[in-house]
Amino acid sequence: MNIIIAIWVAKAVMVVSRLFGKKGSSAPGAIALKIAPSILKVLSAQIKQEIIVVCGTNGKTTTNNMLGALLQKSGKKTVCNLVGANMVMGIATAFIDASDLFGKVDADFAALEIDEASAMIVFDHLTPHKIVITNLFRDQLDRYGEIDITMRYLQRALVKAPKAKLILNGDDPLTAFFGYKSTHACEYFGVAEDAYIARDEAKEGRFCTHCGSELQYHYFHYSQLGDFYCNACDFCRPPLQFAAINLYFSNGIAFDLKMGDSTLPIAVNYRGFYNIYNILAAVAPALLCGVSHEVVNAVLLAYKPQIGRMESFALQKPLVLNLSKNPAGFNQAITTVLQDPRPKNVMVVINDNAQDGKDISWIWDVDFERLNVDTISHFVLSGVRKEDVAVRMKHALIKRPRITMEGDLKLALQKLLSLKGEVCYVLVNYTALFETQNILKALEKERGNHA
Amino acid sequence: MLKIGHLYPDLLNLYGDRGNIITLKNRLVWRDMPVEVKTYGLNEDIDFEDLDILVLGGGSDREQLLVCNRLKEIKQDFAQYVESNGVVVAICGGYQLLGHYYKLENEKIAGLGVLDIYTEQGSPRLIGNVVVQTDAGEVVGFENHGGRTHIGSHTPFGKVLIGHGNNGTDRQEGVLYKNVLGTYLHGPLLPKNPQLADWLITRAIRRKDAEFEALPILQDEEEQLASFTMIERLKTK
Ligand SMILES: [Zn+2]
Repeated sequence: MNIIIAIWVAKAVMVVSRLFGKKGSSAPGAIALKIAPSILKVLSAQIKQEIIVVCGTNGKTTTNNMLGALLQKSGKKTVCNLVGANMVMGIATAFIDASDLFGKVDADFAALEIDEASAMIVFDHLTPHKIVITNLFRDQLDRYGEIDITMRYLQRALVKAPKAKLILNGDDPLTAFFGYKSTHACEYFGVAEDAYIARDEAKEGRFCTHCGSELQYHYFHYSQLGDFYCNACDFCRPPLQFAAINLYFSNGIAFDLKMGDSTLPIAVNYRGFYNIYNILAAVAPALLCGVSHEVVNAVLLAYKPQIGRMESFALQKPLVLNLSKNPAGFNQAITTVLQDPRPKNVMVVINDNAQDGKDISWIWDVDFERLNVDTISHFVLSGVRKEDVAVRMKHALIKRPRITMEGDLKLALQKLLSLKGEVCYVLVNYTALFETQNILKALEKERGNHA
Repeated sequence: MLKIGHLYPDLLNLYGDRGNIITLKNRLVWRDMPVEVKTYGLNEDIDFEDLDILVLGGGSDREQLLVCNRLKEIKQDFAQYVESNGVVVAICGGYQLLGHYYKLENEKIAGLGVLDIYTEQGSPRLIGNVVVQTDAGEVVGFENHGGRTHIGSHTPFGKVLIGHGNNGTDRQEGVLYKNVLGTYLHGPLLPKNPQLADWLITRAIRRKDAEFEALPILQDEEEQLASFTMIERLKTK
């Protein structure tokens, strides 16, 4: 009975918060868990086929949304926590949303993005069949202290799900380590050829997770990703069951997904090398769950990257917005900016609110030096920490006349759009994303009204 | 020619320590003074006699342990470098390693013991922006450490105006000994506190040339703006 009451109360909270235009995504779950602590257990147990969990520091929202779309397009009813509410309360909200008023959940699959630290708590409530780990990059230093702690959280979570199949990024030594001598069944995805995008950048975790020796690479993609091996022990990149080969970059990305003897050609119309990993991390579990090649192609072609992931706006000139919240993500965004040969201007917005991480020392691990090229004529800096970014730019030897600092985000964007150049890129960290996006949408609308 | 040695950046590079190296290097380059940065891997020999500034950054516990095992082997040379007024910037984990030990819950990591200081793990982690009053003016940075460091009779780097400092209790931050600067401040430290970078560079030059007076002045508008903005923000909170 408690369960029914909990559902009613939570659903009422959802209705009310929707009325007030709030996307309150963890409050209903939080209230329901208070009333009926077993609610998540009861609701999730009704999933007919599989619960798939996506963890990892970068790209898990994109991956999980894509996975959800793949399953749904195959006619499978799927519970997703699409809004990025990825702690236990957010997961509860997703199931309550999918349940009817009597606590019945009619769904074949659940695809859940889960925060690395929360997984061990969530797994007390539900038992995943598959766990996808996209990658482990340094992120949110404030909260975790360090990547080691994140790994310990995940290890604890995995102990609670001994029967789950792990789907791991084989190119990432930190992620692949979860499969090393593990009792879990594991499959790996990765990029199985040298894409020649490597360069000198801040090294993160490039040490053997098993014995601590320096890792060697047959070839290397970015951050710590690549075909790694250890000279001192037998830890190395595992064989890839899902391997991207024949990579081709144009306006989008194309590659062949090789799985044993079969090959699935994949093409998407957005860029960014890291997107290959997001695609692999979503497509691998989908294929294992019986999603057809046709559905994969249809969904990927129609798939729009999540808000703020190389999202395009049509203004007086094209503008691309990207969320770049840590060194790995930021360096990837820089690569994408540089792949665009058009004359352009770049804006950087860095805040240090709690959700961004109050510590922005990571900007020193971003290769701003690479932005010092002729095709980028001007830089606009905004956000709470614009002064710090200006110091970073100075040390990247980007000359002062090429830099404008503007604290007012709207004025900064207008300044950016008014500059000479064919395209603009806006790289922002987390809390700046939504504000920037709202301004851009308003500008787009204004323009539509005038056109 | 000044030679800057960056110790084990592959292992100790937790908080953008690269910024400290870039700053030392650029401030010499901008003055047309020759500089060389040499990074050392864990198994490389360090030619201490050749070095003018040595930078030791912070790492995770696992990485710090690896470094610590290695440092034991070069303890003698390191201590001699310090005693002969070699300039050292040791940050966070690197700072802890200068002392006798870092005591964790159930293990004790032995340090270099070149300074009469020690560190014990505490809870919670001390995290946040820091402003320190030093002889080189107000220095601003960011701290994130579990360890509580006690510097005994050594001179602190400065007095904590905002933040936690060495141990969160005695309002002291860092340590100064001869030409060694140990501190919990990253942020990174030197880009936003160029006066400190210059202080270290000056010490390194004077060690070779006692007659040397002062560095030519640079335009530090961006740096001043960045540190001023943060200090004002913290003080008006
Ligand atoms: Zn190894």
